[in-house]
Amino acid sequence: MAIDRRLLQNLDGPLLLAVGLLSGIGVATIWSATKATAFADLYFKQLSAIGLGVLGMVVVASLDYRRLADRAPFFYAASLVVLSYVLFFGPRIAGTRRWLVLGGAQLQPSEFVKLAAALFVAKIFAESRKDQLGLRDVMPAGAAIGLLSLLIAAAPDLGTAFCLVPLFLTVALLAGLRVRAVLLLALCGVLLGALGWSFALRDYQKSRIYTFLDPNLDPRGAGYQTIQSQIAVGSGGLTGKGYGNGSQVQLGYLPARQTDFIFSVLAEELGFVGVSVVLALYLFVLWRALETAQLARDRVGAYLAAGIAATFGFQVVYNVAMVAGLVPVKGLPLPFLSYGGSSVLASLLGIGLILNVRMRRFAN
Amino acid sequence: MRIYEDLRAVQDRLVVAQRVVGALMAVLLVAFWYLQVLNNRYFLELAESNRIRNVPLVAPRGLLLDRGGRLLVENRPSFNILLTPEHSEDLDSTVARLADALGMDEATIRARIAARPARFRPAVIRADAPFADVAAVEARRLELPETGVEVVPLRAYPLQAAAAHALGRVGEVSERQLEQEAFAMVAPGTFIGQAGLEARYNAELMGRDGVRRVVVNSRGAEVAEAERTPPVDGPTLTLTLDASLQAALERAFVGRRGSAVALDPETGEILALTSQPAYDPNAFATGVDSGTWRSLIGDPMRPLMNRVIQGQYSPGSTFKPIEAMAALAEGVITPTSTVYCPGYLSIYNTVFRCNRPEGHGSIDLRRALAVSCNVYFYQAGVRLEIERIARYSRRFGLGSPTGVDLPAESSGLVPSPEWKQRVLKTPWYAGETVSVAIGQGQLNVTPMQMARATAALAVGRLVQPHLVKAVAGRPVEWPPAQDLGFDPAHFEAVRTGMCDVVAAGSGWRARLPGVEVCGKTGSAQVVTRARLQQLGPGNELVQPHGWFIAFAPRERPRIALAVLVENGGSGGEAAAPVAHEVLAHFFRVAVPPRVPAPAAAEAP
Repeated sequence: MAIDRRLLQNLDGPLLLAVGLLSGIGVATIWSATKATAFADLYFKQLSAIGLGVLGMVVVASLDYRRLADRAPFFYAASLVVLSYVLFFGPRIAGTRRWLVLGGAQLQPSEFVKLAAALFVAKIFAESRKDQLGLRDVMPAGAAIGLLSLLIAAAPDLGTAFCLVPLFLTVALLAGLRVRAVLLLALCGVLLGALGWSFALRDYQKSRIYTFLDPNLDPRGAGYQTIQSQIAVGSGGLTGKGYGNGSQVQLGYLPARQTDFIFSVLAEELGFVGVSVVLALYLFVLWRALETAQLARDRVGAYLAAGIAATFGFQVVYNVAMVAGLVPVKGLPLPFLSYGGSSVLASLLGIGLILNVRMRRFAN
Repeated sequence: MRIYEDLRAVQDRLVVAQRVVGALMAVLLVAFWYLQVLNNRYFLELAESNRIRNVPLVAPRGLLLDRGGRLLVENRPSFNILLTPEHSEDLDSTVARLADALGMDEATIRARIAARPARFRPAVIRADAPFADVAAVEARRLELPETGVEVVPLRAYPLQAAAAHALGRVGEVSERQLEQEAFAMVAPGTFIGQAGLEARYNAELMGRDGVRRVVVNSRGAEVAEAERTPPVDGPTLTLTLDASLQAALERAFVGRRGSAVALDPETGEILALTSQPAYDPNAFATGVDSGTWRSLIGDPMRPLMNRVIQGQYSPGSTFKPIEAMAALAEGVITPTSTVYCPGYLSIYNTVFRCNRPEGHGSIDLRRALAVSCNVYFYQAGVRLEIERIARYSRRFGLGSPTGVDLPAESSGLVPSPEWKQRVLKTPWYAGETVSVAIGQGQLNVTPMQMARATAALAVGRLVQPHLVKAVAGRPVEWPPAQDLGFDPAHFEAVRTGMCDVVAAGSGWRARLPGVEVCGKTGSAQVVTRARLQQLGPGNELVQPHGWFIAFAPRERPRIALAVLVENGGSGGEAAAPVAHEVLAHFFRVAVPPRVPAPAAAEAP
């Protein structure tokens, strides 16, 4: 695959550097979180996933994003098929059907569906030529994304399912959806939520929300994660307890410490200083992605970059807020830091798409 | 050439999006500042309490030795079988296997688990387990890693029931005790002294528990030890008891009920002490089972009661030497003055009988003591009147606790008109004085009081009876003996009479070759005439209590004792043989030399 030299000149080095730093910090934190356990080799698996992800990123960056966007309906259809397949025929692991087993490797299709959805949403809204969009204008796209979201939520995987909402809303707003319409949508959401609370939410999901409101309701059960995470974060202090020395982490008090609560590990061992550095890196990545959207030569590119930035942004903000005990616990990985092959792979592919848009801002 | 799309509106909105992202990040940063910097101390404490667990290191209680250094109370290692349910992956199967290995039923094991104070703490499944159980658990270490064996010091009383009432017993601190200030530092579940010296010296004997601060992981398993404060063992108490004399006393008391105490008349050191029936304090060391407890509490013979200091009896004729000292001091009799005994005394419209119906004729003090003539002492009492009898009785230590270092001592009772008016709201009748004069009536004493009064008769001074000689090798300073201020000649007169009691009178059973023993027998009526009729003369419980008090040798006495045999009949028959055995043992074996007084106490 030949890559034009002009394209390489426009490669976003600073963004790559920031992503590289985040991934490196992630591997180091995973090592610290697991060194005292039977899973001490996870950091190496994470490194392999990053290697694979870089390869995938190069491939994705080398294909013109407009061509990819043209195939968005295909990706969308493929997503529906794979999600349905996983839901009905996938193996049940830890009570959920989220996984696709391919030749010994486990993949979480929902991570990749986020990218397909970003392409699909960008493509649909790019074809709209109105300056202002009403609710009726966004209804078809909303329904399509809602369907994906429902399939993911049924796994059940509420965190990832919810990621599609900011993606859709961001792109719709950029495309001209009136704020008043969003408010109306929010009202519908509240109504739907109330219905869902009564009929759709499972008990463990409800208890998570209850215990978020007051973690001490159930300090040994559902509230345990929030309490222990806050203790880890708060006891870290300004400069942390030292890399590899967090008592909450090393003695196993912190749950899901290499995955959803990895930021808690970082906060305990490296303190507020470490937290600030990583949040600054995330801010830079998101800023740069949105800048890419501003620089994009066409709507598809702008919407694609902004949509991916929206999913990243939502995941980062939600996960970090969850670690601090500000929002209820949801299984949502922190991009680039959390352990997980699918997450790493999909995140790097997303970066590939953002690079893609920036590289081709002058190209025909 | 393609026409560029007009993206200005989109770009404007993207600027808004960037600002939103920036604002959200700022909010997060503030939240982390709040948690990590402003509330750092609070969360650090929570993390520490997560991480650190305090494991108490129980200090072994102090040992109790007799005056010769022989072990009376010790600690033996005992094995507790533990189970930490949190460490079990399948509690049901663990409980089943443990029940099988120990031969217990599963419900009991589950009850023990439910009874433990906190999660992640091991439950004691079997306390003081026999070796076979320990071996059974150790052999299953690999399949049942959640079980364990801990070694704890357990109180052991090698003498078993001997001197049980002096040594006392331990037991789990009660809820009522926990509310008292004295036990403010005691944790629930701790074993403390509950009777005898164990209770009286509990604060000293407990020592100071140490603590291990251990780092535990989220499963409660110990990862490392952060800090260790070793326990401070309770100090060794050296008692005044003589184990071999104690054994002789126990042997002498076999088959009898009552109590006896022997002390050194010069120092007040208690050499031997028994109260029968007794109990084995070993039964309390692991927490007494309710069946044993109920049978001890419900026993009408009250084995838990320490009769030496809690039994209150009429002194009977053993009161006569004290009465004689009072009468001599007040000049109402002299050593040589005589009284005519016709066999009774008719006074205050009542006839008071002598113990010899045909009378003793003309009788002096020496003979009156030797034959225990009631009429002689009726007369002395009538002349003294009750106030003076009471005053001299108190001077000999009757009517108030002796202050011996044992808990819950009774004070006995020295009756007086003032007492009777205050408590019974009736005036004193002159006839009552006649009864008190021969140790009957309302007069009540404990064997400890009588032993001390006997010592006072022997040496002329009132000592402080005590059981502890030294704490951790340092002698305990007891109050010095008080001089009673009597004329030595009066003492000599009374002692001569008391020697005759043993040499030629009712106390002959206590006679000892080569040793001049002075004593006095007594019997205390226990029932009224009406009750006697009701129970019938053959009933053991209508028999009078038999008293014998003695000291020996007459010159430079080294031992004074009081023996009371409940419902034993006359003192000469029931109690004097006990004293004989004790005295025989005492004078045949060499007494260990006394601990010299500390150098500082010896004034130049």
